[in-house]
Amino acid sequence: MSTRVLDPSRQHIVLRVAAALLGGYAFAWGFIALGTSALFAAGMPFHDAEFLSSMLGILAYLAVFLWVFAVPGLRRAGAVLVGAGAAMAGLASLLQHTLV
Amino acid sequence: MFANFRLAMAWLHTWFGLVLGFVLMVVFFFGALSVFDREIDRWGIPASRFEPQPMPSFDKVLKPVFESMQPTQESIDRMRPRVDGPMPERYDTVRRWGAYTTHRDPVLGVFAGYEVPNAKDPDEAIFASRTIDPRTGAALPDDRLKIGSRFFYPLHYSLNFHWLDLGYWIVGLAALVMLAALVSGVVMHRKIFREFFTFRPRKSTQRSALDLHNLTGVVALPFHFFFAFTGLVIFAGLYFPVTHTQLHPLHELHEQHEEQETGLPQDRAGVPAPLASVDAMVAEAQRRWASRGMAGEVGFLALQHVGDANGYVSIYRAGTDRIALTGEGIHFKASTGEVLHEDPPPTAVASVAEFLTGLHLQHFRHWLLRWLYVLGGLAGCVCIATGLVFFVEKRKRQHAKQGSSGARVADAMAVTTVTGMLVATLGMLIANRLLPENLPNRGDWEQYCFWGAWLLAMAHAFWRTAPVAEGRLAPAWREQCWAVAAMAVAAVLLNWLTTGDHLLRTLAAGYWPVAGVDLFMLVSAALAAYAARRLGRRVRGAADARAMVAEAARA
Repeated sequence: MSTRVLDPSRQHIVLRVAAALLGGYAFAWGFIALGTSALFAAGMPFHDAEFLSSMLGILAYLAVFLWVFAVPGLRRAGAVLVGAGAAMAGLASLLQHTLV
Repeated sequence: MFANFRLAMAWLHTWFGLVLGFVLMVVFFFGALSVFDREIDRWGIPASRFEPQPMPSFDKVLKPVFESMQPTQESIDRMRPRVDGPMPERYDTVRRWGAYTTHRDPVLGVFAGYEVPNAKDPDEAIFASRTIDPRTGAALPDDRLKIGSRFFYPLHYSLNFHWLDLGYWIVGLAALVMLAALVSGVVMHRKIFREFFTFRPRKSTQRSALDLHNLTGVVALPFHFFFAFTGLVIFAGLYFPVTHTQLHPLHELHEQHEEQETGLPQDRAGVPAPLASVDAMVAEAQRRWASRGMAGEVGFLALQHVGDANGYVSIYRAGTDRIALTGEGIHFKASTGEVLHEDPPPTAVASVAEFLTGLHLQHFRHWLLRWLYVLGGLAGCVCIATGLVFFVEKRKRQHAKQGSSGARVADAMAVTTVTGMLVATLGMLIANRLLPENLPNRGDWEQYCFWGAWLLAMAHAFWRTAPVAEGRLAPAWREQCWAVAAMAVAAVLLNWLTTGDHLLRTLAAGYWPVAGVDLFMLVSAALAAYAARRLGRRVRGAADARAMVAEAARA
């Protein structure tokens, strides 16, 4: 096999798949972390909060995964997912800090 | 990247479906077999062909078994890198003893977890496990592999590929892609309702493969979505270990609260204490269940901090008549037998959790539903396989013109994962009946036979798909169908020859675990032979057509 440089469209596909999988994962992680800590803070039993957030987080992952393939701007989509995921995870840690 | 949403979804469906379709095929097929994992165990271990047993007496049977257990050399070696300093000679500080059984288990699996001194993660335990005959406490040979519940079942969710847990992650990705494929498949096809009733077997392979793909996808759509989704939910803690990493402090806080509320100690007190009669505790638990109007058997029995003043015994009711695996836990102080805590009725969220996981793992007693699960799983296999066939049929003529081998490689992989997987499965069952009874590491040899048969099938698939590169049908499909038919009949015959349990005897005795596996293989053999004959007719038909065209050209 030759070490041919990826043509733009192929490179674009690789980037989009990476954005969907990794960006989606970061988003889902943040979603689950924030959901667990917020529901727990609101008085829900810990494992209930953990289960409910994980279940909804998986559905959220599916939704953003499909969304990345449907939007035109790839860079923006990736930034939104990673940014929102990091923001939610940060909030979760902040909430945890006030609780523990 | 795409002109519109529909095209984006079509691209996603095609390419993710192709790449992960091979994994999904394995997950669906072995998931379907796992519905009857314990029955396959009985077929593979003739010594365990007797009726299911209730949880035996702890004081008389289980206690001596637990006391004689120690981790195997293998698990000690696996643990070694995660410990500072040397490993101890014996493991005496028991963190947990446990036994789990269902209404389908003649033999009982028990496990013991021990504290490991100087472990890098002090919470990590080292485990030992054993399978016993609950009537006597006698151990089954360690190297007898439970093919159903210890090989096919873990293959379903981990591909038995444990390096870095990579198998779990690949299956998780495949489940996500399954969900995405279902959504994108619905978006691609506007006439969903009509596809419910459309199957044109006499049209071209490409057309009828697509019909069958749509039919099996749409008919079982809720089934496919439910299982892919709940599979991800069951392993959510592995895919998103949020509460064991980022939110670990919050988890710790919760455990302290829980300890205060339930009175169940998290840690040992460091003060030795005797063990009261566990049988008396079981009797008390059963009395309390009966008084709630839900008399039942013990499904899960666990002893925490054995030999310590903080030790307690947890007894859970078997979920034979409900969706939850086990429930109604009652916890006793190990040294006195007094009740420490009764689990409160599940919250709304916990009920949803029990429903989703229980319905996926289905340990309840409902044979009709079990068979519907198998049919649903096999419908999923048909959906994936026809998707792969459609991919090849749509492209093979064009690829043949361009001299590309894409369609041929895809077809060879499809043969490998559809018929090749059946060859591997049957190869393992045949090896199970043919290998010498006292062969050391017999279970390992059975696994080598499984992977070896699959590799052979793969080599054959790549060899005998050459005609696809010329736009024709691959003979590999037909030949492997014949192999499947022959091997399935051979497995049934070998079961008869080596154990004497032929169908007349197992059916007359009503011993369905073995009769069912035999009947299932015979039906598979008939279907495979039928498919092989039909494929043969199609090849001859195509050859006749080519001859006629050549004739007409000469005339």
